[in-house]
Amino acid sequence: MEVKLINPFVVAAQAVFKTMLNIELTLGKPSLKEAKTTSGDVTGIMSMVGDKKGTIAISFREKGALFVFNSLMGDEAPFIGPEVVDAIGELTNIISGQARKEFENTGLNLKASIPMVVVGKGVETNFITKLPIISLPFDFSAGNGEAEVMYLDFSFE
Amino acid sequence: MRVLVVDDFSTMRKIIKNVLKQINMDNVVEAENGKHALSILRSDSIEFIISDWIMPEMTGIEFLRACKEDEAIKNIPFVMVTAEAQKDSVLEAIKAGVDNYIVKPFTPEKLKEVIGKTMAKFGK
Repeated sequence: MEVKLINPFVVAAQAVFKTMLNIELTLGKPSLKEAKTTSGDVTGIMSMVGDKKGTIAISFREKGALFVFNSLMGDEAPFIGPEVVDAIGELTNIISGQARKEFENTGLNLKASIPMVVVGKGVETNFITKLPIISLPFDFSAGNGEAEVMYLDFSFE
Repeated sequence: MRVLVVDDFSTMRKIIKNVLKQINMDNVVEAENGKHALSILRSDSIEFIISDWIMPEMTGIEFLRACKEDEAIKNIPFVMVTAEAQKDSVLEAIKAGVDNYIVKPFTPEKLKEVIGKTMAKFGK
């Protein structure tokens, strides 16, 4: 997969977290993933079509999702309920929008679907390409020095 | 001032409501899509509209067009707050008559600034 298909997602994820959550995301080592399954406990999924087609999945472990919810809303959530699911869906939507803007700067136009959110780790998902998934792990501090990770998994062709 | 906030995500409605409260605009009505918003507009005294773009049932751009074609509501200030940041989208919204446009992600300060500018444009 071309590097120019990776950078828009990196730039978008880092910009959205910085602007809306005041959280710095640090990109770890990307990997290839054969299984089309969710990487974390709660995952926002969106497909895009246009000059390219593909799917992105933004995935958090439970603790990371609760921290992100708290940072975004200023409210505590004790578990992954409807409010947290809604917040992860909206975050996925915003990251997708920023990524599509970055793609536009490289000459690629994409339209997106309405995001859906899946709760559960290892859940089969509907990536619309036949290529393997590239998994980008982003590290962030979830307060009290605890390290958390957001997985941005995508496949574009 | 009575404000209609339209977004299918309750998260974003709450974020916008929190910002509105900071500028003493706490008389807010919420809708989950354009269709729901139109029904509210026809029965309520709404003075300002803030709407998302991508929503089920009726999208923000369809809602905007419906508002601007309706004599009774076309003069209500309409701000689009959306993740649709591509140039074509912004142009489409301008052509449809949007009064201002904010791209997500935004800071509270940016939203306040755009609301202030839009209100000034309408002499409010």
